[in-house]
Amino acid sequence: MSSHHEPSAAEGQHYKHEGPKNHYLTYIFSILLTMFAFAAVIYGELETWFVLFFIVGLAIIQAFVQLVYWMHMKDRGHTFPILGMILGVVIVIPIIIAALYWMWW
Amino acid sequence: MSSAHNHAGVLPHEPEKATLEGRNKIIGFWFFLGAEVVLFGSLFASYLTLRNQVPEGPTAAELFQLEVVALSTFILLTSSLTSVLATIALHRHKLNALLGWMTVTVLLGIAFLGLEIYEFVEYVHEGHTFVANAFATSFYTLVGFHGAHVAFGVLWISLLILQTLKKGLTVVTAPKFYIAGLYWHFIDVVWVFIFTVVYLMGKVG
Repeated sequence: MSSHHEPSAAEGQHYKHEGPKNHYLTYIFSILLTMFAFAAVIYGELETWFVLFFIVGLAIIQAFVQLVYWMHMKDRGHTFPILGMILGVVIVIPIIIAALYWMWW
Repeated sequence: MSSAHNHAGVLPHEPEKATLEGRNKIIGFWFFLGAEVVLFGSLFASYLTLRNQVPEGPTAAELFQLEVVALSTFILLTSSLTSVLATIALHRHKLNALLGWMTVTVLLGIAFLGLEIYEFVEYVHEGHTFVANAFATSFYTLVGFHGAHVAFGVLWISLLILQTLKKGLTVVTAPKFYIAGLYWHFIDVVWVFIFTVVYLMGKVG
């Protein structure tokens, strides 16, 4: 890495700091998703299988949103962690399917 | 490390990524989080396999109180927000705001742990002990491991705050806060799956 990162005067003036707005939105969105999940279990008169898929789906969405905004995946310089995660998911999904197939059929 | 500290008192933008050491710490921490995912994945898998093995003792549906779980969830989610606000303060080089938000995060973490201890004591009184049945053992292992991570985070961030009070915000201390923030978010993401898979699915059946 030959590039170094001391800010020059010009860079300093043009640098835009990330504001907290997206993080507040992520917080509100996470609270809403959590409330939907709890409400589906407490008040829902729905089929059990539907509630299970619904709350697990909400959890995956919430984890994804927090990963993107709170854990900075949308910021530059995260190609390597993102590649690692995609690789992990690609490997894990066949393992889960194979394991379930092995146990249940 | 002589050149790693401040250059003439000017801290670079995103001071956590200003040095190779800092960038390596962040990549290394993602490897660690990958290993943590495997660890928690295994604990979730054992829990899902064993959660209906309740020959004696209370079942999940009889045991869990969703009010307490909702309160814990709210506390931990809020602490995740305060830790990202600390990272923003870090990027703006505002030391007091950084330490303030991190202190709030630690206090919320302690509140979460207090609730979890209260919850576990209640469960033991109802006969849900570690050795009562396979459901209880896998439950305490999974949720307890998460609680241990919260406890470790509380201790770690407290020490970081003390160290930074002494050393100030530099390109050496900045990556530590950034990484501690990542760790805290990870704990919250694991909790999202715990309240869904353990508590809510326990109530649904």
